[in-house]
Amino acid sequence: MTQIISKSDLITWLNKLAESHVLIGPVNDNAGVTLFRKVSQAEEIAFDFTNTTLSPKEWFFPPTETLFTVERKDGQVELVPAEDVEAKVIFGMRPCDARGIALLDKPFLNEPADTLYQQHRDKTALIGLSCREVLPECFCTSMGTAPDDSSNMDILLTEVADGYIIQVVTEKGAALLAECPEGLLKQSEVTPPALSSAATVPIEGITEIMAENFDNVYWERLADRCLHCNLCAYVCPTCYCFDVRDYNDKGKVERVRTWESCQSSGFTRIAGGYDRRAGKAPHLRQRFYHKLFYFPAEFGSVACVGCGRCVKACPVNVDIREVIMDVHNLGGQSGQQ
Amino acid sequence: MEKQIRDKAKELLSSQAVDCVIGYGRATDGVTSRPLFVYEPEKADELIFDKTCTHNLTKYLLNRKGKKTGIVVKGCDSRAINVLLNEEQIKREEVSIIGVVCEGIVEVSWNQVSEILQTRCRYCHQHAPLVYDFLAGEPIKELLPTGEEHPAVTEIEAKSLEEREAFWSEHFDRCCRCYACRQVCPGCYCTECFVDSLDPLWVGIRIAPAENQIWHSIRAFHLAGRCAGCNECERVCPMNIPLRLLNRKLANTVEELFNFQAGLNAEEMQPLGTFIKEENVGIG
Repeated sequence: MTQIISKSDLITWLNKLAESHVLIGPVNDNAGVTLFRKVSQAEEIAFDFTNTTLSPKEWFFPPTETLFTVERKDGQVELVPAEDVEAKVIFGMRPCDARGIALLDKPFLNEPADTLYQQHRDKTALIGLSCREVLPECFCTSMGTAPDDSSNMDILLTEVADGYIIQVVTEKGAALLAECPEGLLKQSEVTPPALSSAATVPIEGITEIMAENFDNVYWERLADRCLHCNLCAYVCPTCYCFDVRDYNDKGKVERVRTWESCQSSGFTRIAGGYDRRAGKAPHLRQRFYHKLFYFPAEFGSVACVGCGRCVKACPVNVDIREVIMDVHNLGGQSGQQ
Repeated sequence: MEKQIRDKAKELLSSQAVDCVIGYGRATDGVTSRPLFVYEPEKADELIFDKTCTHNLTKYLLNRKGKKTGIVVKGCDSRAINVLLNEEQIKREEVSIIGVVCEGIVEVSWNQVSEILQTRCRYCHQHAPLVYDFLAGEPIKELLPTGEEHPAVTEIEAKSLEEREAFWSEHFDRCCRCYACRQVCPGCYCTECFVDSLDPLWVGIRIAPAENQIWHSIRAFHLAGRCAGCNECERVCPMNIPLRLLNRKLANTVEELFNFQAGLNAEEMQPLGTFIKEENVGIG
């Protein structure tokens, strides 16, 4: 027996949660873009979305946020750290994106933890939604998750004919469900329909082969096509490069952090103009070495969740699935191609 | 036409007239296309040309200065070649142009090929390239029906100032400043883009409405009289910002004021890059 909730009752429950939380869910805008946005009521949520244009990482690692302000007051210098005070519920988190957040935890919560990221995590509950459809660009099952993976969620919902199956995963999730008005949850024998499987990508052993191919001419050839925009990094649930800048406005200083990417011209350029990743190929290579070599070496898993956003969004079809297969074909013969 | 392109590419590579031919190949979705760099004659058979070949490849010439390069160029893209020649960004003798006659490109996105012609193609006057060394395909005798005015631009022009501000704010607020529009644009080649300059910091690094608005406004003005209308900026935008409208509006204005269209030839200087004392356009 499982607990299920009908769609209209789900909306009632989400609206109840919205009384005490900021409710965030996928919203379609007029221009054909779907993004995780604050909603004032659950009816605004696009329940039939496939995947969002940007990943929900923007609620933990926002495109732009103030880290702290420094102000001179009565002859004293006062530093005020930014604080996240809003309790949030994100509805509609896909399993790949939840794994993306779990991977972001590794660098951001590694000691010393990034305090603001930690607050966003603590203040936010995740109500996941299993995928109903495997898209042509999806390859999550090769990257350690699955369309119905409940790990990294607080609650996972799975859509069935007469509503949503509810799986409570954490205590935070149980607390949310406790707020569900009485009588809305039903018992059911229903089982979720089977999905077609996602594309398979040979990820096994990739880190070892990457170690052998840093100087391979392959990266030069791949970079021929790359435009070196930040698009792949910005749609990616696991990319976390940022830039920091201080703004001074009439004696009040604000330290701001924004998204950045390894493709931008200033990446790794240091005082004096030296750039240890100068040139187009080293920039593009950095993207794949970070995902498939540095991150696994540091944190134990590849920094990709198989959401397929970069595959779909890249204007010139730099396809990470193809890159992984190509790297396997390069084998251990560095520079021999 | 594909055979003509492949044969020419093979010839250019075999004779070492060029060391690379930039054309189109099949994308990993199996249905759309992507830029393809061919270095060996035997790889030339991977070159394709069909109604999905939307990319303007001329941007890549900027990465190959001083290297002999062959390139597949549609009519629209050839205007960008003229812009780059005029602005002395490429040398004519370094580029072997395989021109293709194009009947129009359809709306394409990842794994999807529609039957609908792209908007720019419905108004296209340039089915054959203006500049080429070799032409693939038969010249089109009958032009497709075209309109002089761009209806979407006229629509925006009819709105009030407040409505236009609301329209653009809604779009620019969504911008994530990934700069895909800039990176794909043949006209965007500044050594240091004004938004990348940190000292002085011309535009703040915040990805936020005010900064986004400055970014798009200044970029549009930098392209006035230089944008050849390939519409790559709009195609690559992940946030579906209708950049075509901005570029088209400025192109219309430049044409009205100076009777000039970007890239029709390589000789005529673009109006905003020249100062003619006698010119009086009523703006100061």
